[in-house]
Amino acid sequence: MKPVGMVQPAGTVKPGRARCLILACGNTLRSDDGVGPWLAAWAQERFDPQAGVSVISRQQWTPELAEDVASVETVLFVDCAMDLKPGTVKLVDVEPVDETQGLATHHLGAAELLGLARALFGSLPRRALMLTVGGGSTELGELFSPPVTAALPIASAKMEDAVARLMRGE
Amino acid sequence: MSQTITIDPVTRLEGHGKITIHLNAQNEVEDAQFHVTQVRGFERFAQGRPYYEMPSLMARICGICPVSHLIASAKACEAIMSVRIPHTAAQLRRMLNLAQMVQSHALSFFYLSSPDLALGMESDPATRNIFGVVAAKPELGRAGVGLRRFGQHIIELLGDKRIHPGWVVPGGVTEPLAAAKRDEILAMLPEAYANVGLALAWYKQIADGFKPEIAVFANFPSLYMSLINEDESLEFTDGTLRLIDAEGQTIEEGITASRYTEVIGEAVEPYSYTKFAYYKPLGYPQGSYRVGPLARLNIVKSAGTPQAEKELAAFKQLAAGPVSSSFHYHHARLIEALYGIEKIEQILADPAILDKHVRASAGVNRLEGAGQAEAPRGTLNHHYKVDENGKITWANLVIATGQNNNAMNKGVLQAAKAYVKNGKFTEGILNRVEAVVRTFDPCLSCSTHAYGQMPLILSLVSAEGEVVDQVVR
Repeated sequence: MKPVGMVQPAGTVKPGRARCLILACGNTLRSDDGVGPWLAAWAQERFDPQAGVSVISRQQWTPELAEDVASVETVLFVDCAMDLKPGTVKLVDVEPVDETQGLATHHLGAAELLGLARALFGSLPRRALMLTVGGGSTELGELFSPPVTAALPIASAKMEDAVARLMRGE
Repeated sequence: MSQTITIDPVTRLEGHGKITIHLNAQNEVEDAQFHVTQVRGFERFAQGRPYYEMPSLMARICGICPVSHLIASAKACEAIMSVRIPHTAAQLRRMLNLAQMVQSHALSFFYLSSPDLALGMESDPATRNIFGVVAAKPELGRAGVGLRRFGQHIIELLGDKRIHPGWVVPGGVTEPLAAAKRDEILAMLPEAYANVGLALAWYKQIADGFKPEIAVFANFPSLYMSLINEDESLEFTDGTLRLIDAEGQTIEEGITASRYTEVIGEAVEPYSYTKFAYYKPLGYPQGSYRVGPLARLNIVKSAGTPQAEKELAAFKQLAAGPVSSSFHYHHARLIEALYGIEKIEQILADPAILDKHVRASAGVNRLEGAGQAEAPRGTLNHHYKVDENGKITWANLVIATGQNNNAMNKGVLQAAKAYVKNGKFTEGILNRVEAVVRTFDPCLSCSTHAYGQMPLILSLVSAEGEVVDQVVR
């Protein structure tokens, strides 16, 4: 298992008019939930901000991020998913929604963030994708479960491919 | 047959709680209780840790007001070290605390309470949220998002993290302020002023529409307590505590952190994990008091900044003495946010603000120390004892929500008596009872120090103890 606690979550890179924003979510102290911040840290080393890729990693997605989402051409959301088989990597398109069942104070989903970006700022990224990695455990701990550890190269490669496609205008 | 109404969970709060309303045989409201149903135990697991770890450990109590815990904790450690921190460090901490106050007040006002204020207490609960506010009043939604970003970005600039920054340490702060960061904060000020100005103007326009709620939302005489400066202006980080009575007369002042336990006691009730603070000379529950924005504005004689001064003067016209309805916490919160922005601008104009000397050092010079600060929702006191090696042997935290606990319970009872008729309640009535608690902006996780999660429930309980109606969110 990989000691993810050794990798700091990515800090904020003010996105400005980035062509692609990678927006990750997760708690590095809750084992597999830290896969989003881990991928964000990987992306921050892999992609050059000068090339128009920016990275934001947060423990939770809060409503203020709507402004960041509204200001970019494309966005790739990255998160752990407990409703997927552990270690499964999934990439799907995300469409905005205009309502929330939750309280929308401490955490929003990707679709809700897009909806809020449209409602508040009248702007949406041209395309939004969501990369999720199935989690096996969210118990207290800084280590990934074996299926998530095994999925890291797959998730990184899929992220690289997704960013390349978004940057090409797909 | 008497009944009980339960609201569980109470929504749009920081943390999880429950409200129980007891009815008598005539189906009239007889009693009401606001339960905090989490338990955490920070005071216990801090034992054995070195004192200098305490600010970072204690800040983990809360994701909304970690800065206040950082500061109160660091001050308690500095009492153990017997050091006075450098002027610039004190100013930088003050700015950090104000930035947190602005972002926390923005969350409370815009995200948690503006759905009630903008859409109405009886509006469709499916859209009574931030999305509903954005659809109805997009400019208000943008102002809320903008103010929250303002506060959070300053915290991130100073402490490198929006939540749980490790920059505040015993003795001061770890890094001085860089000129580029100062300039970045200065550049954000015009938009912050515009956002809070918009919110204040809007609130003052709509507040009169809530006269029935103002009349019964925890509207009763009480004591109030907050930090205050020597010049009797607002203070969030230093100064000493003052207590006033229901007529506004000072009954205790100059309360330092180390004197706190001489003046304030804590009672326990079987229905809540949060303690009930009270003013010792009056005993419990007669010595109950309120803290937070309403208390602070009732206590100070001036705001200390020009624009907030004008708003404070208008606020004080709401009553001949202290403003007693907790509904006015909303108004007070916006005035404090304006004050916070102005004060940050003043602090940045301090010629010593870029000074490099920002940390004092010392070891253990006393075996006991206490620190206090104003969190957004009220006064916070940290009190520690250490052994000769600096390991914590005992810790006690008195949190704002515990200090408002009696007033919240009394307020819930007052609103329930006004709205619950014939043993029945509608969704709008339920929302009003919850909204009383929201005015205080309690932080339940802070107050109980929580294990696990519990949603908010409202229960209606008969005289025989039977739960006859219940709403679970």
